[in-house]
Amino acid sequence: MTAAGRVRQVAPARPRHTPGRLRSGLLRPALTGLGAVAGTGLLVGALPWLSGDDPARTVLRAREVEREPDPAALDALREQLDLPADPVRGTVAWLGRAVTGDLGTSWVSGQPVAEVVPPALAVSATLSGTAAAVAVVLAVLFAWPAVRRAADGRADGGGAAGVLAAALAALPEFVLAVLGVAVVAVGWGLLPTSGFTGPEHLVLPVLALALPAGGLLGRVLAGAVREAAGEAWVRTWRAAGVSRAAVQGAVARRALTVVVPQVLLLLVGLLGAGAVIEAVFDVPGLGRVALAAALAQDLPVVQAAVALLVLLGLAAGGAGVLLHRALLGPAGTDGGLSPELPPPAPGAGRWAAGLLAVLLLVVLVGVLRDPAAQDLGDRLAAPSWAHPLGADALGRDVLARFAAGALPSVGLALLISAVVLVVGVAAGLVGRERAGLADVLNALPAVVVGIAVAAVAGPSLAGAAVAVSLVAWIPLAVHTRTLAAEVRASGFHLAARTSGAGRWHLVRHHLLPVVLPPVGRHALLRVPHTALALAGLSFLGLGAGAESPEWGRSLADGVVYLERAPWLVAVPAAGLVLLGVVAGLVRTGR
Amino acid sequence: MPRPAGALLALPLLLAGCFAPSGEQAADGGQRLALALAFPPVAALSPFSDDAALLTRMGVGETLVGLDEAGQPVPLLAESWSRVDDRTVTLDLRGDVQFHDGTPLDAEAVVGALTAAAAAAPAPRSIDGLGLTARAVDEDTVEVRVAEPDPLLVHRLAAPGLVVLATSAYADPAAPDPVGAGTGPFELTELRGASGATLTADADHWAGAPELAGVDVTFPADAAARTAGLRAGELDVAVNLPIAQLSTLTDTEVLSVPLPRLVSLSLDTADGPFADPGLRAAAVAAIDPQPVVEAVYEGRADVAEGLFDDDTAGGLDRPAVTLPPAADPAGTSIRLATYSDRPELPEAAAVLAEQLRQAGFTVEVVVAEYATLETDLLAGTYDAVLASRLYLGDTGDPVGYLAADLTCEGSYNLARLCDPAMDAVVAEAATLADPEERRAAALRIEAQVLSTGAVVPVLHERTHTGYAPTVSGLAVDRFDRLLLGTGTTVEE
Repeated sequence: MTAAGRVRQVAPARPRHTPGRLRSGLLRPALTGLGAVAGTGLLVGALPWLSGDDPARTVLRAREVEREPDPAALDALREQLDLPADPVRGTVAWLGRAVTGDLGTSWVSGQPVAEVVPPALAVSATLSGTAAAVAVVLAVLFAWPAVRRAADGRADGGGAAGVLAAALAALPEFVLAVLGVAVVAVGWGLLPTSGFTGPEHLVLPVLALALPAGGLLGRVLAGAVREAAGEAWVRTWRAAGVSRAAVQGAVARRALTVVVPQVLLLLVGLLGAGAVIEAVFDVPGLGRVALAAALAQDLPVVQAAVALLVLLGLAAGGAGVLLHRALLGPAGTDGGLSPELPPPAPGAGRWAAGLLAVLLLVVLVGVLRDPAAQDLGDRLAAPSWAHPLGADALGRDVLARFAAGALPSVGLALLISAVVLVVGVAAGLVGRERAGLADVLNALPAVVVGIAVAAVAGPSLAGAAVAVSLVAWIPLAVHTRTLAAEVRASGFHLAARTSGAGRWHLVRHHLLPVVLPPVGRHALLRVPHTALALAGLSFLGLGAGAESPEWGRSLADGVVYLERAPWLVAVPAAGLVLLGVVAGLVRTGR
Repeated sequence: MPRPAGALLALPLLLAGCFAPSGEQAADGGQRLALALAFPPVAALSPFSDDAALLTRMGVGETLVGLDEAGQPVPLLAESWSRVDDRTVTLDLRGDVQFHDGTPLDAEAVVGALTAAAAAAPAPRSIDGLGLTARAVDEDTVEVRVAEPDPLLVHRLAAPGLVVLATSAYADPAAPDPVGAGTGPFELTELRGASGATLTADADHWAGAPELAGVDVTFPADAAARTAGLRAGELDVAVNLPIAQLSTLTDTEVLSVPLPRLVSLSLDTADGPFADPGLRAAAVAAIDPQPVVEAVYEGRADVAEGLFDDDTAGGLDRPAVTLPPAADPAGTSIRLATYSDRPELPEAAAVLAEQLRQAGFTVEVVVAEYATLETDLLAGTYDAVLASRLYLGDTGDPVGYLAADLTCEGSYNLARLCDPAMDAVVAEAATLADPEERRAAALRIEAQVLSTGAVVPVLHERTHTGYAPTVSGLAVDRFDRLLLGTGTTVEE
């Protein structure tokens, strides 16, 4: 029996399931799955009508890029494809066939979908599964200093590991990927540059995905560790002379309960969203298949990919809930836990203020310069007196663009983070602990969400903000849900409930004070990521204008020049990292 | 380790272990070449798609005729041909050709291939809507016929979509399978989805045994991945390299071939500010392609004098262009769109936008992936479109481009130009049989188009193929159809 197992005896376990609930417990997931597949299938089936693009034309273009869309060719194709008359009829027919196992054939290639999508999914699963596992290991490493201190009864310190983790969490995946190829594969010749035919091809893409994810999870885990360290049983154990290693193990395990559902979200989220990394490393994964098919409106392929992803997402969401319960053990029932008001996060406010001041100073110097002035003679000019941070491909001043891009990047990202924090906490508090809408949205490939949003909201910055917000609330909601489940299982919550406290009173006085600080920190950690995501959909025309100095856009434009003009990537990346570190140092405790 | 946490760590490991299939190692010796082509097959290498060009580039499939530098047909699988009348041609097939599956290339096989192409939905672009039929005259003579008189009938047979595959490839006539069914110097022995293909030399090829023993092909869509593979020594040849990364290639050679590909700014003549010829003239005057070519394309492109490059003009004179007097833009707001699929276009658009601003326009630049823009581009949503376009099509003839891009009924008319006089001269040019007369007519139409200010030519692109210094014998083809041949070698 592990050390944590002994805690379970604090409260007697109560059977959680009555037979009646068990039956509905089997029926409900099946219905949820069917509903989710039908709903997302309809969304995908409606894409041609939402976007107003004729599928015959998009399919023809996917087959032959340079071919003019002349009416005779389009008619021939329309006849061949037997396009549905409206999205509802098309989706119903597709569902009917899919239930019998017939996924149809791709409109573009004519190949059976069953021979295209499952192999790509297997490749993506290998990549994202390994990345998730490595991210967990990294997270534990980053949080280990906090675990050791917790076992010594302290909730402070761990600063260096925390700063490193926050910096990594702010790094863009595609920059890490391109950097990895340039340094490790081309420079040192240690690993292959691209392809996916053996384990040696896993290393670089997995690192590109796992380093930022591990940094983020590490910060969340360290926060959870600090909160676990404040729980009464740790003091009891220490007083009772339980070995240090045993306390460390128990604290780590207690804290992991919060991170497990996050890891599963990450795992599923990477399956359909890895298009950029898959392209850099020429990995034949589902992200690229889904992206190409969505742009070509190859509906049978997109529908099959989305159906598989959504079912996997729901399964992983359900598994996350079950794993969370299993990790909590019988303590996860009424009165078994004693989460307490977390101690204030370690006081690193001065550091945060210092870094922020540096960032502000650079921005202040930069705003005095013209970010739009081109001088082709200074193309890719290295840093000099004239251009202190170098010049970009059009000879524009990088310092000026960094400064001009700060507000649109950081300001909008902060605004979105605030909104999704409110939405995520509200959804997490209201939602029951089971797989649902959040898991479905998380599993959808970003391109499908992006096309739908672009169709409804139009290609604009607001559209990009909506598309990013649609998925950004999910990790926060799941985090909230996980923490709330623990609070609801606590003695003080039970006591308040049995003494007749109202719902709002419970939320206001017992749930929010425990949930808000860690979830708020989590939201802050994701600010750099949000700033990047805003530029991630620009290929759909969503987001700031083409000449905007926004950081995400500058990074994407500059990455092709990584070796010739590293400052094009280094400057905005440093901005994001500084932002991430500042966000990671901000005190959210009381 | 507690069990649930153990299960969590085991989950990804269960999922892991699925990789893309790798090519089987060739047992026999001989030199193999590692080639990276630019796009993964969209239709499992069916010739009735863009994959046709992959087949010809890899040296797997061959067409009945080829095109020379001037765009005139030259013998390939057909040794010679003769016009029967203005709708019919007979072709004599090369006698010593075998498909990779061992069957002979005879009239029956050619008729089957052409009939399948004509019946495809839609048929390959070069023969679509012509009512093409084919008939075996004798064992090695084929008669090809179209419904209407057609001076380009033989040219059309050079299109990659009309590669001739063995009868066994047409089990599904809508999607022929070229594995083991081509006639080229290399047999396609294995296609692994989008991740790669294995080619083996055909020692019995009609032009002689290839120098190489085989080719390993990958299709990295990301241009940076191709550059990196070349630099790391994993690849011997990589096509379509981005100009931005050419200067990082220090140990490799670059083959730059001028393409019949025009980058031009099309101004929306139907409505918006550029419906006014005076403002179009102002835009034409404002635009200077030189800085775009020098900075963005780093000198690796050619400033466009007109729609067609000098090779296409073939030494003929370009008639003079007369523009209407330019109006004062006075801050007129315009939206300029381009797409990011061709990496240089967004930067070029930014430079041109700045030139237009200097001239007094107010410019907003829109950039997105081509797939999300196309409908809007053709619908006239934007006032100006910076686009890259092949103008010699599949047939090596410029008139088809003029008809599609600059006539009222044209299906790719970005400038939305509609002028009955223009339609009439384009239709007349299409009937000319003599190649020189066609070129002269195309140049007259070019001058007429440029005089409206509807299209502002910027530059002619080149394609950049990187190769290791040990590689020799790559084909130089301005139609970008050929790359590997019997003479291609790679030294130790």
